[in-house]
Amino acid sequence: MMTNTLTSTLVLLPFLAAGCCYVLRSNRVRSLVVLVTGFLLIISAVGLIPLTPFTLSAGNLLGVRVHDLVMVADFLLLFLILYFGFKHRSLVVKILSLLQILLVAYLEFFLIKEVPATGTIYCDSLALIMVLIVSVVGSIICFQAIPYMRNHEAHLRLDKSRQHRFFLVMILFLGAMNGLVLSNDLLFFYFFFEVTTLCSFLLIAHDHTATAIQNAVRALWMNSLGGAAFIVGLTGLYYQSGHLDLQLIIINASPGARVFLLSLALLCLAAFTKSAQFPFQSWLLGAMVAPTPVSALLHSSTMVKVGVYLVLRLAPAIHGTFLSQCVAIFGAFTFLAAAALAVGQSNGKKVLAYSTISNLGLIFACAGLNTPQSVTAGILLIVFHAFIKALLFLCVGTIEQHIASRDIEDMRGVYATMPLTALITVMGVIMMIMPPFGVLLSKWMAMEAAARSFYLILIITLGSALTVMYWARWAGTLMSDPFAGRFKPERQPLLTWGALGALSAGAAVLSLAAPWIYTRMIAPAMSGTYLLPYRASGGILENAAGVFAVLPLSVVAAVGFILSIWAVKRAAGARIVAPYLSGIQVTEPGMFKGPMNRLVKAEAKNYYLSSIFGEHKLTAWVNLGAGVLLILMLGGTL
Amino acid sequence: MILTTVYVLTGFVIGPLLGGLISGLDRILTARLQSRIGPPILQPFYDAAKLLGKEKTVVNVWQAFCAFGYLAATSMAVVLFFLRSDLLLILFIQAVGAVFLVVGALASTSPFSQVGAHRELLQILSYEPLLVLVVVGIYLETGSFKIGSVLTHPEPLLLKLPFLFVVLGYALTIKLRKSPFDLSTSHHAHQELVKGLLTDYSGPYLALTEIGHWYEIMLLLGLCALFWATHWVGMTILIVVTYFMEVLIDNVSARMNWRWMLGYVWAMGLTLSLVNLIWLYTA
Amino acid sequence: MLKNLIQKSRIKSPWLLHYDCSSCNGCDIEVLACLTPVYDIERFGIINVGNPKHADILLVTGTVNQRNKKVLVNLFDQMPHPKAVIAIGSCALSGGIFREAYNVVGGVDKVIPVDVYVPGCPAKPEAIIDGVVLGLEKLKTASLPARL
Repeated sequence: MMTNTLTSTLVLLPFLAAGCCYVLRSNRVRSLVVLVTGFLLIISAVGLIPLTPFTLSAGNLLGVRVHDLVMVADFLLLFLILYFGFKHRSLVVKILSLLQILLVAYLEFFLIKEVPATGTIYCDSLALIMVLIVSVVGSIICFQAIPYMRNHEAHLRLDKSRQHRFFLVMILFLGAMNGLVLSNDLLFFYFFFEVTTLCSFLLIAHDHTATAIQNAVRALWMNSLGGAAFIVGLTGLYYQSGHLDLQLIIINASPGARVFLLSLALLCLAAFTKSAQFPFQSWLLGAMVAPTPVSALLHSSTMVKVGVYLVLRLAPAIHGTFLSQCVAIFGAFTFLAAAALAVGQSNGKKVLAYSTISNLGLIFACAGLNTPQSVTAGILLIVFHAFIKALLFLCVGTIEQHIASRDIEDMRGVYATMPLTALITVMGVIMMIMPPFGVLLSKWMAMEAAARSFYLILIITLGSALTVMYWARWAGTLMSDPFAGRFKPERQPLLTWGALGALSAGAAVLSLAAPWIYTRMIAPAMSGTYLLPYRASGGILENAAGVFAVLPLSVVAAVGFILSIWAVKRAAGARIVAPYLSGIQVTEPGMFKGPMNRLVKAEAKNYYLSSIFGEHKLTAWVNLGAGVLLILMLGGTL
Repeated sequence: MILTTVYVLTGFVIGPLLGGLISGLDRILTARLQSRIGPPILQPFYDAAKLLGKEKTVVNVWQAFCAFGYLAATSMAVVLFFLRSDLLLILFIQAVGAVFLVVGALASTSPFSQVGAHRELLQILSYEPLLVLVVVGIYLETGSFKIGSVLTHPEPLLLKLPFLFVVLGYALTIKLRKSPFDLSTSHHAHQELVKGLLTDYSGPYLALTEIGHWYEIMLLLGLCALFWATHWVGMTILIVVTYFMEVLIDNVSARMNWRWMLGYVWAMGLTLSLVNLIWLYTA
Repeated sequence: MLKNLIQKSRIKSPWLLHYDCSSCNGCDIEVLACLTPVYDIERFGIINVGNPKHADILLVTGTVNQRNKKVLVNLFDQMPHPKAVIAIGSCALSGGIFREAYNVVGGVDKVIPVDVYVPGCPAKPEAIIDGVVLGLEKLKTASLPARL
């Protein structure tokens, strides 16, 4: 009963609340609805923790079978996408949505004889982790979106507020995501998969500029390609096994059968498009035109995680197959290539986008590697990446609204004007690349898991060296300022500080709690399919090959941090001198006396190495490489 | 418990003392190669003590944070090495130190500091994968990343990982700031980039980076020592020969640019690692 | 004990910053001669650093003119305490044969306080080394910072 209530709160409440946001046009009421929904979602998600694992059957809703409801909604959705295809004159969208309509109809009306009575909803630890991420991170981002969108519309000087549409889609998306990860019936999964595609399209196009619409249409057709691959895969799976129950499919996997493997390969392809892996990365890069909360919610922490979630789910089914190896190589390749492209970027949001693609690639590599260790690493990476990347996006959004630019060069010395935001951003970067924080913990696991395969480890080490480069550069640039005056936090809306604070503190606490997350959440998901990869005792993760003392290291790091802060406090009493400028500096900060006694500003730009890592140099080759790998993956199953 | 405390204290105290002595020896050796007499062997300690007693001046207070962070990370890496912990983890912690140094240098707007910081990042980019691959080689041979297990391996690793030892040599040359890879900061590049990365660290903060560097020397030589961990004589010979080669290379080569460094180190280092890893993989 | 160590180290490790105001290069060559194997001042822990923020002793050669006097002051200001200034050669002492020139301010002591004067045109390396040793006396007696 309890599970029933909580699950329906998680899935259905957002749909209701979204409707309220659309209908009630008052800003106050809308903010209240968003806040209440967010808190309810967080509470219900936390409430699910002691109840997992469980299965539920979606019987009837208001006297109608849920299965039929979903089917009708599915058709409505696909026709809506078809409509957008006509509206924006995109032939590809039209073809793909028609194909999907036909296949869904074929599947629903001709193939499926009886609707399964049980097991439409299944929640194990993996699904629970996703639900928690969606509900907690998603709600926090929606809270921050309230002040953000107010500012955003003030900047755009709109006559008529369009926030009701914005929050309609944002909140509805939360429900769709929860529904997606809880579905066990793959047709439900497919329905929510398409809902997220549509949400993404609507939110990218939100500002209605020409670029926004163009990019939104690109996102739509690429994701529709994924949807089409998904439904073709489903048809194949139904042929093979006669049902679409995800758990049964995984348990009774028949990796020898060609149709089965090809269908799974198609599901993987769908996952790759959703997670914007190469060569489908362009939609995610284009999606950066959307308001920043959208990038934070859909395009970094939750929606793009659907792809990796799906492949991690399917990992036991493809264990030991060539397909699994292909996924691993493909993921590692994306990890490296996206990191290289990120090095060549000076646009902050693009760096974040490439970094997201890169990290998702690493998770795919972990899933494809398919050892207990690597799968653990993949799941942990999903958790930590979601928190920290959402945090970084919100930070960049806050900075962007202040300096009216998203270029890293323009963020040079932003510490001078917005010290607290700059510090939180640097914190985020530190949590991204440094031990003992979670992202590095997962990377460590991934590397130790990949060490047995020399080509994978080679690719992953190169990728992670490039990762350090673009993050460290950014953190330093933010702080690059001749210090003047005392530290005084700038003014921001309470909800902004709340969101930034909650996300950064959350990420730090979760890093500390990594061993417990492992024992409580990941170990139960492991048992059955895999052997337990680590012993966790006293906050130390250990196995025969390696040891990561999370808790002791965190304690040392905390002590080091406090000492360093103490050093900073004392340094505030030190004599402040100008940066070294060969002795020709003048009293105006950063200036020197040049020829003809004129003042010249001393400037140094970052190295972006665009002659090596520029998009114009790499993108074509990377897309070619990824294409070849995809063909290898699909062809290899035949 | 007592043993652990002893290890921690050894790493924490003996580490930098030994590192300082080695860098004093380095200076004498360099002087002799240039037909000079050179400073006393304790010179690095005099330098550090003097710097600690100087007036504190900063460009940006966060430089102090970064200098402390660098010292904390490098000392932590050495302590973990003495605790026989996980090699990969130690490398990550060592990288934290390097990143802190870079962020501190970037916090100053001086172009010398900025250029030095970016060159340091390129150096990190060059050596980091090599170090990880060396550790992966050790894992493939001994079956563990834990130094404790590596030490019990019955035969010297050098026999199975000769190419990876050369690769470690490349990383060592970059990390010890020796020519031809001393791009980011160097004792001899005044005209070109003043002191690069370290330009705007001064007084006590410069002393901290100096002490941190001693820890790094210890860590890297410790990594070299693992290649002949079966007998102390072999270990000593290996370390002495390696360090002498480093000083020799430093004295006979000119400083090159980053393009050459990245291209050369990746081409040579990755090829040699791959050859050695495939050999281990098939053997 | 710590105090003694630091005071001893100050004498053992003086780092030089050499600034050429507008010298004829005669004195500069003599300064650099000190670093060569013949004199090898690294024996005394002396290093020629290129950066005022790392330097203990400022060696100045040449006359100070209107153009470079600000630079000299800037470099001096950026050196952390304790520090000593050594003026080398006739020009740095008084302006030398250029002292009547329209753009010349005069000796180094017109803009920053000088601790040691090393005469000569050019000054001999032995004299320069002697000057540095005299300058060390000032470093030795300088007080320690209140908090380390």
